[in-house]
Amino acid sequence: MTSSGQINKDNISPGSDYKSLPEGYGSTEAVLLPRDPNWMFIYWEITANAKAEVCKKHGADIFQKSKQIIRVYDVTATGSVDGGDQKYFDIPIMVDAKNWYINVQESGRTYCCEVGLVTPDGRFIGLVRTNPVKLPGGMVSDVTDEKWMSVSSDFEKLLQLSGVEYIGKGSGEVAKSLAQRWEMLRAVFSRASSWGVSSLSSHALGKQPSVNKNFWLVADCELILYGATEPDACVTVSGRKVKLNTDGTFSMRFALPDGSMGLPIKAVSNDESDTREIEIKVSRTTHTDGK
Amino acid sequence: MANNEKGYLALVLHAHLPFIRHPEYEDFLEEDWFYEAMCETYLPLLDIYERLTRENVDFRITMSLTPPLCNMMADPLLSKRFQRYYNQRLELSEKEVVRTRNTQFYDVARMYERKFKRIKELYEDYYHCNILEGFKKFQDMGRLEVITCGATHGFLPLEVRKEAVYAQVKIASDDYRRHFGRGPRGIWLAECAYNPGDDVYLKANGIRFFFLETHGIIYGSPRPRYGVYAPVYCPSGVAAFGRDMESAQQVWSAETGYPGDHRYREFYRDLGYDMEYEYIKPYLHSDGVRRNISMKYHRITGRVGLNEKAPYNPQEAREVAASHAGNFMFNRERQIEHLNGFLGRKPIVVSMYDAELYGHWWYEGTDFIEFFLKKIHYDQQTVKLVTPSEYLGIYPDNQMVQPSMSTWGDKGYNEVWLNGTNDWMYRHLHKAVERMVEMANRFESPDGPLKRALNQCAREVALGMSSDWAFLMTVGTAKTYSTKRFVEHTHRFIALYEQIMGNRIDEGYLKDIEWRDNIFPAIDYRVFSTAEADKAAKS
Repeated sequence: MTSSGQINKDNISPGSDYKSLPEGYGSTEAVLLPRDPNWMFIYWEITANAKAEVCKKHGADIFQKSKQIIRVYDVTATGSVDGGDQKYFDIPIMVDAKNWYINVQESGRTYCCEVGLVTPDGRFIGLVRTNPVKLPGGMVSDVTDEKWMSVSSDFEKLLQLSGVEYIGKGSGEVAKSLAQRWEMLRAVFSRASSWGVSSLSSHALGKQPSVNKNFWLVADCELILYGATEPDACVTVSGRKVKLNTDGTFSMRFALPDGSMGLPIKAVSNDESDTREIEIKVSRTTHTDGK
Repeated sequence: MANNEKGYLALVLHAHLPFIRHPEYEDFLEEDWFYEAMCETYLPLLDIYERLTRENVDFRITMSLTPPLCNMMADPLLSKRFQRYYNQRLELSEKEVVRTRNTQFYDVARMYERKFKRIKELYEDYYHCNILEGFKKFQDMGRLEVITCGATHGFLPLEVRKEAVYAQVKIASDDYRRHFGRGPRGIWLAECAYNPGDDVYLKANGIRFFFLETHGIIYGSPRPRYGVYAPVYCPSGVAAFGRDMESAQQVWSAETGYPGDHRYREFYRDLGYDMEYEYIKPYLHSDGVRRNISMKYHRITGRVGLNEKAPYNPQEAREVAASHAGNFMFNRERQIEHLNGFLGRKPIVVSMYDAELYGHWWYEGTDFIEFFLKKIHYDQQTVKLVTPSEYLGIYPDNQMVQPSMSTWGDKGYNEVWLNGTNDWMYRHLHKAVERMVEMANRFESPDGPLKRALNQCAREVALGMSSDWAFLMTVGTAKTYSTKRFVEHTHRFIALYEQIMGNRIDEGYLKDIEWRDNIFPAIDYRVFSTAEADKAAKS
């Protein structure tokens, strides 16, 4: 490939597609990541061996007859699942989904997740457990120190001065401008997608992330203007002199953006006694289905 | 100037590009990002510092130059290609001066000709083809504070292993020392992404301060007494400065920001599309596809189609930049006076921006900075420009606050780097980090090809950590390229890992990827060891 914009199928070696990365790494593990005060992302791998062990212990049909879930523990008090009686809630999933977005009501707390099975008689069989993640509070702290108390009535005003209303917004501006830094690709290829790509809901079961959609279409057009006159005539297009070929023909290639443009063509004979003019008006409109 | 200022202003420019260098191609589109930023932002900024210094204007500015950027700036191959780039542009601008004679575009063509001549002169005669010399010069004068960034602009809150966080900071810190002859005092955390506790690894590397988005400070605990108008100390003692949104909005708001003025240069109307194909073809990439070539002759004009844009008037645009700089200064004076009265102490206003937005995106933005620095020096006494180090010298006592997890991305947290377009990356990235740590813990003093292979593994895993790949996938621009880059680094890591663990290193392969991914020539893979990270956390 010569560039990102240049989707040249011949040059993308098969090893370069992301699907060429390993499906798994042969170890049973799960990782939990923070996204924002109310969302986390979990991915996991459970090997065939690990599943077989569970089947051996609990019966060959244990995966079929149990509910597959993620158990989300609030481990703020102890830091780990083993510390005692944690509050938890369950999210039904498919173990084969391999990743999930998890919504929690309470921000600012520490969570840990366990992918597992709930048997028909209500027992929980844990398959794999994540690291703990502490989510940000997403609000002004209610912890104040002694010194603070004396000026706390002014805090609202200070928040306004600090730009509290801009939280998470001003940064979007910067990010958008940043996106435009890569501007040179815009011609045909960049189809600046909107934010909000993700996931207020988790991926539907079995539905692949959108990166999997390899189907694509790009299109553009340019304009070729051509003509002929006496080989010794003087020809201008939009006031600019055009170099004629020896047989008096000429051609030019222009970019053709959306909108309309006029192309006045003027030929003046060699002895300047005769003039011919043609004006071509071109307009272009591009519609896309927005996908 | 006497000590009668009412408060301080720190102007912080974050300069960064991902490490893009493709020796395997003669001509590579994405390398242009670097050449354009050199011509439009980095060299013009240095030119300003040169002029201000000559005029004895006592300015202060803080710039992050990220390790990938420093490595590109110091790279001989990219330097040679950059010279080719500006020489071609210079040649085109000379042709343009002839072509536009007696037209309304003549002044603009002359402007480009002067600009590229100056670029050439600065780059070759002043900085001997390594512009880091320029930045170092102004840093040594005390006018510029250059800070570092994570080794590859790694997004730290999504790393699960502390070894990875430590390695990002340590590699960056060592690389900074190589270029600037001393350790960095400050760091720009990539995307301002802060995870509570990561500051201990900054401290271990001698770093005294970093920057946060507004809510990183004001959602901190306990409540920060001065909001974002004074830094706070993290539990480790490293200072965190918060971003002032008022000054950020003033420049970059879509509705009210300066860069939208109709007299400024229009970014989207470009000679690369306007000129007849045969004329412009020699200045396009070898694929011959029309693209922007950064010579633009029109002004924003208003909400009209690209073909109705009016001609650009450089002199008029410069005057507008001067008046915007005046307005920006006036607003900072009022802001700081007001804060001073309200807080009962001299506030610090921290105005943080992406450096490349000045000059590249907002063409007159560099003029704006120059006018602003001059006006601040000559025309007022309310505001004093400082670097964060200077400020901490004046106010060493600050409140202890644990800042909140935060980023400067859309919605303020991690979503830009963790969503349906890029979440597939993390299982591969984390596995690579885990294996890197495993090898760093296992191999204590290898030599020969094994040592080289381990160091190359460290480069590949670091390159995979760049936040840029996930960012580009999210915004949808250069998505194919960013996906390919992440996948390639992961593949190279896996291949080397398997060779090392199987005791069958393929030296030909190793040599090939050392040649491709040559970032951090002095890297030591042991920065990924658990013992180093633990030691740092306890220091």
